[in-house]
Amino acid sequence: MYLAWREIKRNRMKFSLIAVIFILIAWLVFILSGLGNGLQTLAAASFKNMKADYVVLEQGSNASVSKSLLSADGIDIVSKMPNVRGASPVGTTMGTVLKGDASDPAAGKVDVAMIGIEAGSFLEPAVIEGSGLSSDRADGAIVNKSMKDEGFKLGDTLRLDGSNETLTIVGFVENETYNHVASVFLPIDKWRTITFAAPGSDKGIRNPVNALILQGSKIDPDAVNAALQGTDTVTLAAAIMGMPGYKEESGSITMMLAFLLVISAFMLGVFFYVFTLQKSNQFGVLKAIGARNGFLGKAVVSQVMVLSIFSILVGVALTYAVASFLSKAMPFILDTKLVIIYSIILLVIALLSSLASVRSITRIDPLKALGRVE
Amino acid sequence: MAQGLDMHGVSHYYNEGSSRTTALDRVSISVEPGEFIAVIGPSGSGKSTFLSVAGALLQASEGEVKLNGTSISSVSAKELSRIRLHDIGFIMQSSNLVPYLNVEEQLHIIKKMAGKVTKQDKAYAAQLLDELGLGEKHKAYPDELSGGEKQRVAIARALMNDPQVILADEPTASLDTKRAHEVVSLIAKEVRSRRKAAVMVTHDERMLTYCDRVYRMADGQLTLDQMQPAQELVSR
Ligand SMILES: Nc1ncnc2c1ncn2[C@@H]1O[C@H](COP(=O)(O)OP(=O)(O)OP(=O)(O)O)[C@@H](O)[C@H]1O
Ligand SMILES: [Mg+2]
Repeated sequence: MYLAWREIKRNRMKFSLIAVIFILIAWLVFILSGLGNGLQTLAAASFKNMKADYVVLEQGSNASVSKSLLSADGIDIVSKMPNVRGASPVGTTMGTVLKGDASDPAAGKVDVAMIGIEAGSFLEPAVIEGSGLSSDRADGAIVNKSMKDEGFKLGDTLRLDGSNETLTIVGFVENETYNHVASVFLPIDKWRTITFAAPGSDKGIRNPVNALILQGSKIDPDAVNAALQGTDTVTLAAAIMGMPGYKEESGSITMMLAFLLVISAFMLGVFFYVFTLQKSNQFGVLKAIGARNGFLGKAVVSQVMVLSIFSILVGVALTYAVASFLSKAMPFILDTKLVIIYSIILLVIALLSSLASVRSITRIDPLKALGRVE
Repeated sequence: MAQGLDMHGVSHYYNEGSSRTTALDRVSISVEPGEFIAVIGPSGSGKSTFLSVAGALLQASEGEVKLNGTSISSVSAKELSRIRLHDIGFIMQSSNLVPYLNVEEQLHIIKKMAGKVTKQDKAYAAQLLDELGLGEKHKAYPDELSGGEKQRVAIARALMNDPQVILADEPTASLDTKRAHEVVSLIAKEVRSRRKAAVMVTHDERMLTYCDRVYRMADGQLTLDQMQPAQELVSR
């Protein structure tokens, strides 16, 4: 630290330049992770928010809720199985809601994800405004608060495009999106009426739903599959991965982040290495007068440490600053936990990349210091 | 003898591929505390190699090197750097100061390498600097110093850990005559007042007047120079 800090103080320009590059890298990492997180939330928040562990799907649906169709009657059987704390049916349908009232055909439309659940079940999210679903109110719906930005208020009627059915907004929830659009939670019976309006679309299944959601951490999926004919039970995480496009979307963002991290590790490593090479004569002199490898190695690592922590903190600050400027429509969500994780990853990468420099120190020959004119 | 530098039958070979250079050929010398020895000789004769072996930078191929009565012929690399830190003071051709440390810190770093810098260490460093005529320059950085001043800082640095042996490799190479005299007379003064065993390699015959004995290096062999310097000229 003695050498590290004094060198930074005497060479502000040089170290500022490196810090700027490091800050930009950190900034980019945080922005990308915020965007990735935002997109993933938009794609699956309503399922991620569920306090559930397993999802029972139709066999052959490839762990995809939207491809699955099965009877809700299985609930009675699975709820009695060991380790099952709760079981509730769910149905999802993409739909379009007409804005304004019937007299104004030009008001536009909004895409929504209709999620049918049982009123009062563990799948119902807590409202931030209005009241929850109730079995007395068959057309009541609780919707994501982003619908407010589209001009909807409590008590408004939601007219569904291509259907005679209507819903009434009884409450608002937050952070509830699915398939990149706002979620609309409605009673499962109403959901059935809307979804299976066309004759035969329910394939003759009694009480059709897309999936049964289970609570209970030690559930045996094979036992459930055996008890309910023609089912396939997966974890909630697997069901989210099975959503169309989800894996690909998060995959490409993860790839970008991974490449960014690898490239930055390389870049920072080269910078630190060149710095150390420039100083090899000086390190040789210090070794000649008795400095141990450990002493010089510590100087290099602590310098990288100071530089990294400073740059990462500035990067975080810049990211939060940008986040406050971004428009609401932008899917950008900074998760404190993710920011901390990526900060640690960046720090570890910087330290690892300085190892090449530390290694080169051990190979500097103190002999070179003798009989040499600078 | 228990103190100072004692070398007996020391040879050193550099192996490069199949060829072998004998840089030191059965060198024996002993330097006692308070003695200031000069080594002269043509380029490539082995002077720097001699200092490196004496200064625990190189292990001798043959023979025995004793510092303060302890043999350093077969110790680990880690132990060698400990010996360099505590028992030897190097003064190099160009001062080789750390560019981003001020004059005081150049001395403190020596203590820092050994562990901690105490109040006494700081006081001792200040005293050394004053003694070497650097009273005004405690906070100056190397790029603000003249060549002679830098070399004086290097002398202070060599004395900082109070080593028994001082080794100087052409300390005047980058100085003009006036500054060279200044620097070497300062080394001579410190060596005698602090009772150090000192060896200086030099090309500059005029500097020999400050030394007690002069050795000549030729093809790796060290011999006492017949021409004794005019010791009477030196105020002891
Ligand atoms: N690292 C090395 N590898 C191989 N040979 C070396 C090495 N260092 C020195 N030598 C050889 O050993 C001999 C003595 O070299 P040394 O550097 O000790 O000479 P010197 O007397 O200090 O010369 P100068 O006055 O030019 O500094 C020379 O022949 C030199 O070529
Ligand atoms: Mg030499």
